[in-house]
Amino acid sequence: MPVRIGLLTEGGYPYVSGDARLWCDRLVRGLGQHEFDIYALSRSERQESEGWLELPPQVSRVRTAPLWSAEDDGVVHGRRARRRFGECYEELAAVLCAGDGQASDTAVTGPTELPAAASADVADRFANALYGLAELARDEGGLVTALRSERAVRALERACRAPGALRTAREARVPELLTVAAHLERALRPLSLDWYEDDALGSVDLCHATAGGTAALPGLLARHFAGVPLLVTEYGVQLRTHYLASADAPPAVRALLGAFHSRLAAEIYRRAALITPGNSHTRRWQERCGADRTKIRTVYPGMEASRFAEVGEEADRADADTLVWVGRIEPAKDLISLLHAFAEIRKEEPKARLRIVGAASGAEGEAYLGHCRALAAQLFPDEAEGVHAVGDNPVSFEEIGGPEAPTLAEAYAAGTVIVLSSVVEGFPIGLVEAMFCGRATVSTDVGAVVEVIGGTGLVVPPRNPRALAEACVSLLRDPERRERLGAAARARALELFTIEQNITAFHGIYLEIVSHSPIHRVVLDDAGDPLPFAAPAEGHVPGRWTGPRTGPTARVVARGGPRWAAGAPVRATTPLPATEAAR
Amino acid sequence: MSGLGELDRPGRPGGAGAWDAQSEEWLGGRGESETEGEAPGEPGTPTLARPLGGEELDDLGVPGEQGPARDVPGGVGVRDLSEGDSGERNPKQPLTPRTTPDQTPRKPAPTRRGAADPVKALMHRHRELCERAVDPLEIAAGLEAHGVTDRTAARFRHRDVFSLAEEMYARVPRDDAATPHPDAAAAQPPRAGWAVLALLPGVLCAATVTGLRLTDGRLRLTVAVVGVLAVALGVRLALGRGPLSTPPGTHAWRTPPGTRLWTYWLLAYALLGDGLLRAADDGGPDGLPTGATGGPWSPATAPVLALTLACAPAAWCAHHFAVRARRKLATSRGLEDFADSVQPLLLGTFALFLCALTALLALCGAVLGEPAAYAQALTLGALLLLARLLTVHGFTHAPTLALGAAAATEATALCLDFIGRLPGCGFLATPVETLMDSWGPGSIPALACGVAALILLFHTTRTLTRASAHAPADEPR
Repeated sequence: MPVRIGLLTEGGYPYVSGDARLWCDRLVRGLGQHEFDIYALSRSERQESEGWLELPPQVSRVRTAPLWSAEDDGVVHGRRARRRFGECYEELAAVLCAGDGQASDTAVTGPTELPAAASADVADRFANALYGLAELARDEGGLVTALRSERAVRALERACRAPGALRTAREARVPELLTVAAHLERALRPLSLDWYEDDALGSVDLCHATAGGTAALPGLLARHFAGVPLLVTEYGVQLRTHYLASADAPPAVRALLGAFHSRLAAEIYRRAALITPGNSHTRRWQERCGADRTKIRTVYPGMEASRFAEVGEEADRADADTLVWVGRIEPAKDLISLLHAFAEIRKEEPKARLRIVGAASGAEGEAYLGHCRALAAQLFPDEAEGVHAVGDNPVSFEEIGGPEAPTLAEAYAAGTVIVLSSVVEGFPIGLVEAMFCGRATVSTDVGAVVEVIGGTGLVVPPRNPRALAEACVSLLRDPERRERLGAAARARALELFTIEQNITAFHGIYLEIVSHSPIHRVVLDDAGDPLPFAAPAEGHVPGRWTGPRTGPTARVVARGGPRWAAGAPVRATTPLPATEAAR
Repeated sequence: MSGLGELDRPGRPGGAGAWDAQSEEWLGGRGESETEGEAPGEPGTPTLARPLGGEELDDLGVPGEQGPARDVPGGVGVRDLSEGDSGERNPKQPLTPRTTPDQTPRKPAPTRRGAADPVKALMHRHRELCERAVDPLEIAAGLEAHGVTDRTAARFRHRDVFSLAEEMYARVPRDDAATPHPDAAAAQPPRAGWAVLALLPGVLCAATVTGLRLTDGRLRLTVAVVGVLAVALGVRLALGRGPLSTPPGTHAWRTPPGTRLWTYWLLAYALLGDGLLRAADDGGPDGLPTGATGGPWSPATAPVLALTLACAPAAWCAHHFAVRARRKLATSRGLEDFADSVQPLLLGTFALFLCALTALLALCGAVLGEPAAYAQALTLGALLLLARLLTVHGFTHAPTLALGAAAATEATALCLDFIGRLPGCGFLATPVETLMDSWGPGSIPALACGVAALILLFHTTRTLTRASAHAPADEPR
């Protein structure tokens, strides 16, 4: 059954410089049997001017909107619309200033009664305010002007000064109020888009948001206006990114915006049909933000396995006693610790060598690389085999593409043991690559490492050179164990981290969602009246039952009853002309 | 995917000092920190460096620290926290009693007791993060960026990072005194660019007037045309940068064409209108203005020269107003407070500009030997300044209306005066004639611009005192 998917992105696919564009591209190309409509929000003028990736034919339309510039439609609200806006915005501001009733204020005011009920109430109020603003934008337009107006700032000020407001919010001054209002205006820009009509997101079977936060907001509204189910995929938690990025802002701004983003995340998780985090770390954050456990399906990111196939399949041809570290050189990778560990290894295994493969990123990375080189030179003097040979340092710094390591796969192939020494790590791509290559690994217990390696490699605590050294020595001395672990790692990676796995998982999830939430469409007769029983109950069963319903008299409009039925009807079974598609 | 590392990298705290007396006291009895906080290979911070004697045990007792990790099938190579697993335990680290996680931190405890509080060590290490946080999730995000995982949290007897962050958030000493707000944003270094540009229209206009005085005939016509074009260009340049320019990148905030058109019309009237009316009064005009001062339709160059010269004080006033308003924005507590403090500032700036314009008018009149036409020029200058201020702050509707109304009034007066010559239509010209008879031809633009300026001034005191009008410019694109 072909499913029509509205793919929602923010600063991502189909832009050349977008985030996660590779994953989206593979997903769209891999699911050729479905139809994709892409709704992309661009993040900067530069991104927009850099253009799009080449799109496959299953993309039937692309609609874009800039997030970086507010399109002032010149609409000035009338008295009634202004009052409506004021009510919604005041409600929104009140919710943001109220705190979540359980975490923030307990320290000050003591435990609140019934925190669960209170937080559900707050969530409802937030949702009402959000959808109220969206409806206003849809009916009247002019939301951008209103969100920047003095009325909005005054509403924020009143909410901050109200009794029971957050302690930090109470301290908000005028500049902070203005910052919050500006940020809210920016965050709520998707509300002013014209994407929620029956000829746009209203006509898709399923919205797939490729990130949380702003990207999922159109999906939330499509669900509200047209009942389209929403699937949210998150490879990094937007809320967490927001917290880290806004660390320099004044406390009041952080408190209010943090409240906004966590409420928005909670609303997205509450309304989403399914949520697919990319790893268990993301999953924990989602659960923490109120996502229902039953709706969460972890879908690991897929990676290109074929380029490591050769290395992974063939026998170990690595140089004996060679440790390889591959990655981008930066302080979070803690190469210092690795060098100290290697010093310990050399005491046990004097022939051991360490190859550090990777390039430094940025000025900081360069400085760090220089520091590491100096330390390596200090710890390990050049040494030669005999009195007549030229000496060499057991630690070498190389880059991919150099004579020693022409490709990434070759770099991994050269290692007896692959080492990962990071202190901070998200999803360890390097580790997955090493697993694809069938290499035994020793990694530090950070980020998603344990989840990825799952017992097919050694894991040691971070910042512990001695533990790292002992783990490496034990592997260097035990070829059988190395082989066993490497084979297991490769099998595990092929099972969990391939592109095919990722695409198949999403295919299944699409079908699952569509089967659970069929779009109810009203079938109209010639006179434009609803035709009762025109769509039998079997029609909602997944798969085609009665062949295409393209009777000459049956016209179909999206669900919504007689009010919408008066509008221009669309056929549900034939695809709409791709007016916006510009490939 | 670890791009967040750039935002918040692991590292040691900036200083090793304690954050309060308790912390200091506790620091004294603390051994070496274990889980993280100091980069390996670097010496510990001096305060922390304390010999690890036999008695000063490390209560963290982090297992898994020593000995190789094991590959547990389906599990993790990290060793679990069971304290009984002392097979590979470092002999220097004897078994330590399990400590309760939630001791009351405020209780003045003896040193040994304080040392049994591992969360406090963590809080000390991340004290900036803790003091800054407005939300437990913020601490959780910050801790994770420093490499704290759920397994690290388990060493602090917590289920996950979130509950650890919650404890830390709850335990941070908070004084309810208002946190010091950062001072107003440092004043931007004055840029000479716009100051020079603001002088450009006046200089060009002065040059043109001089040229007109020195030439005659066809050459004078050429000079006049070139001069007008040059002055128009100069004004555009002067308004394109500096405090009189509209913020970049905002479509809606561009000067609407209507405003521009009415402004040109008003200036043209200031130059030629009075002369035309005077000529019409005498039965003329019999030809185009020649530019000579004593002619029948003499252009009023002194007010126009003064107005173009006034671009510089206008730019300075706008700059002054913007800077002071921003400063007030940073210091005022509420919106009402801000409005109350900006209103006198706005009126003062406006009065200052009027003074400067009066002085310029007097100067130009004296130099050129012409009547200075104070009433017309002052009202027009006031109107133009207010219109520009509003446009710069994003209010384009009202200036267009006000300028349009003033221009339309002037045009109507001219038309009525000429229509009144037609037979039977004499009554139409009566109001204009009355005005001219009692106060002279200058009363018409003075009235039109004056009323418009007054209305606009009232509007300005209501709109430009709003904080939203002074919101900082948009984020970069």
